[in-house]
Amino acid sequence: MNSLQGLLYGLQIAATPTNLLAAFVGAFAGTAIGVLPGLGPVAGVALILPLTFSLDPTAGLIMMAGIFYGSMYGGSTTAILLNIPGESASVVTAIDGYQLAKKGRAGATLTIVAVGSFVGGTLAVVGVMMFSSSLANLAILFGPAEFFALTAGGLIVMSRISGGTLASALLPMTLGLMLGTIGQEAVTGETRFTFGIPDLAEGVSLVPVVVGLYGFAELMLLVEDRAHAANRPESVKMRDLLPTRTEWKRAVPSWLRGTFLGFLFGLVPGPAATLASFAAYRLEKATSKYADEIGTGAIEGVAGPEAANNSAATASLVPLLALGIPFTPIAALMISAMLVQGIQPGPLLITQHPEIFWGLIASAYIGNVMLLALNIPMVGVWVSLLRIPHYLFIPLLLVLSVIGTYSVRNSIFDVWVLLAAGIVGYAFNKLKFQLAPLVVGLILGPNIEKHFREALFLSDGDPWIYVQSPIAVTVWLLVAAILIAGFIARRRAAFADAMAQESSL
Amino acid sequence: MRFQSNLRRAAWAGFVLLAAVAGLSQSARAADEWPTRDITFYVPYAPGGSTDPISRKYAELLEKQLKVKVIVENKPGASATIGTGAVIRATPDGYTIGLGSSSSLAYQPLEMKGLAWKSANDYQSIAKLSDLPVILAVPADARWKTLDDFIAEAKANPRKLKVSVSGLRSINDIVIQQLNKLAGLRIVTVPFTGGGGEATLAALGGRVDGSSGFAPGMKGQIDAGKLRVLAVFQQGKYDLLPDAKPIGETPWKDTFPVGYYVIAPNGLPKAILEKLTAVSKTIVESDEFKSFLKANGYTSDPKIGDDMKQELAGYDAKFRDVIKFLDDDK
Repeated sequence: MNSLQGLLYGLQIAATPTNLLAAFVGAFAGTAIGVLPGLGPVAGVALILPLTFSLDPTAGLIMMAGIFYGSMYGGSTTAILLNIPGESASVVTAIDGYQLAKKGRAGATLTIVAVGSFVGGTLAVVGVMMFSSSLANLAILFGPAEFFALTAGGLIVMSRISGGTLASALLPMTLGLMLGTIGQEAVTGETRFTFGIPDLAEGVSLVPVVVGLYGFAELMLLVEDRAHAANRPESVKMRDLLPTRTEWKRAVPSWLRGTFLGFLFGLVPGPAATLASFAAYRLEKATSKYADEIGTGAIEGVAGPEAANNSAATASLVPLLALGIPFTPIAALMISAMLVQGIQPGPLLITQHPEIFWGLIASAYIGNVMLLALNIPMVGVWVSLLRIPHYLFIPLLLVLSVIGTYSVRNSIFDVWVLLAAGIVGYAFNKLKFQLAPLVVGLILGPNIEKHFREALFLSDGDPWIYVQSPIAVTVWLLVAAILIAGFIARRRAAFADAMAQESSL
Repeated sequence: MRFQSNLRRAAWAGFVLLAAVAGLSQSARAADEWPTRDITFYVPYAPGGSTDPISRKYAELLEKQLKVKVIVENKPGASATIGTGAVIRATPDGYTIGLGSSSSLAYQPLEMKGLAWKSANDYQSIAKLSDLPVILAVPADARWKTLDDFIAEAKANPRKLKVSVSGLRSINDIVIQQLNKLAGLRIVTVPFTGGGGEATLAALGGRVDGSSGFAPGMKGQIDAGKLRVLAVFQQGKYDLLPDAKPIGETPWKDTFPVGYYVIAPNGLPKAILEKLTAVSKTIVESDEFKSFLKANGYTSDPKIGDDMKQELAGYDAKFRDVIKFLDDDK
């Protein structure tokens, strides 16, 4: 079966009423899960796992995949409107998205995001369909040394992710790395810095930190802003809901760059969607024509990452379907769903169960269209939420954040982490420290350490393993090139400034 | 699942409050009439592993028997000791039970300090659900065609052959160490903690010489001809992978599978313990449960109450020996 025949076959399967309903339920639930702060796609998929046992396997998997990519649509909504990322893949979206919303472009931004998610998701499905068997082997090329280069190099490159001075980024990043060492060490399972608190054995989880740093801190800033607290924010006019011609034009290249980058991240193990959005943001800063504006409310800073996280979510179907190896918690859940139904995931899935492989791919096309249709009309609704008076809105969000955070692990401890992170976020805001590097440190830290140690186990302690593979060396050279290019650009800018000052004297 | 269970729990909390007011909840009657409300079944592992399907099957059958809801709740972390501890520390009222494994019940207390259980005396053994044997597989293009080839090379070259495992001192690691101990080998185990997937990936990519894991996660690669299974660490033939040589047919037959068990906190009222044990016995001996086990690569080995307790006490001794071997080897 070639891809076109496969797709047509898949469409027959995906278009049955049950499977259409499954895709819709998945897309809808995914959007809702994305919008609710705290509740992320992993919790969402785990929530419906038991349900899928009684469904037809294809329908169950379609629904689970729908939740995953659907949540990538919804996650950015609160990030843009309120500076509260709905899930970790939307952290960077908050940086420029919230600035755009403050400028009254919330509606336009949400539209750009919805279309960007559609572009990223749909192009990635095309990629999965065309290349899944050949790309699956990409993952095999990556071992601990390569991942160490990717994650440690990524940390270095992303230290300047959100602008500001180097110090204002390095301190939070260090804090993030330190937080990442709490709990069970990845390789031996030894617990560290838990002070005898059992809840800390699992480490500081990402959700309460992200929701606290951004959401709670933002709510505190809102309360502080007394002049506004009593007022309703001004209403948004209908024409502001649509992006202008320039905004559309500026978004397109960012969508494409983000989609490409996200797709690559989806193919290898790791928190693909989150890392992809961070990397895409960094890429926009490096390549966009409007790089200077990024951080202060540029459409590129939203369009790139949002296309990237959708693309990554979809691309992570490749290792799942073509290798049968789960790289993400969600993929593990989908494999569990297959095993319970007596379906053996693995390279033979495509021949033994073509209905699942092609049905899932075809349903991803349909699901993305559904999500676009669901999300575009919602833009107006979301924006009108901003008109709820603050004295109602702030408590409502507070409650939602706490419930969302609690529900992820049924842990009251996480609620305390949320509060603590909120205070840190508030203080960092006042002191003009960057928040995104802290999140980057917390996500990458444990990964860097894990790959670092796995590589040493593999080489029996020989550190040369880190630079012995062509892939690892290439990654390190790229990191060096990015750093040097950034250094030169800053020197030039400083030089130009100095010249300008001199000539004005 | 969790959210639902919370709602349900909240609803039940309300109900229980009402019942208390109405004076219905005298403890003696509660024991006789157990169960009158939902039972929570903790699984100390994340969803998606080999522990999830089996727990859900048991819960499903338990629901049918007891006519109340049995809510499966995943409580992963700290090598399964968080969820296991949650069961052992729970109020012994029959409404909180859970899954334990030979690793979380017998191995972890030897390695971790401060756990709520040190031996099988510290929790109530209900029933053994199954065994799941460890398998050893190598990349399909590897030069070892049989287990003998692999062991011969390992013997000739100590510390040269590497086998990926899903976590340091996980059962699939300890099984290889046991083989090292019995056969006088020094196969190096390399831990990959990405939930088993990365350990398999390392073997596929040729980074390690083989991978020690469980059939459900590796069978797809074996069927597709990407991995070749050399051995299964159990006494007899493995129905799921008939090509695998049972370690029981070699001189190093003293091995162990990972065992899955149902446990409850100590101090259950007698009536509840008897009913739960009887019902669990019916389940693990039923044809439906056995055919589920067979289809998924688990081995049925029903052991009830004290028989299960004895088996776990036996593991305790075996694990002590392996730990001693590893310490001496350092």
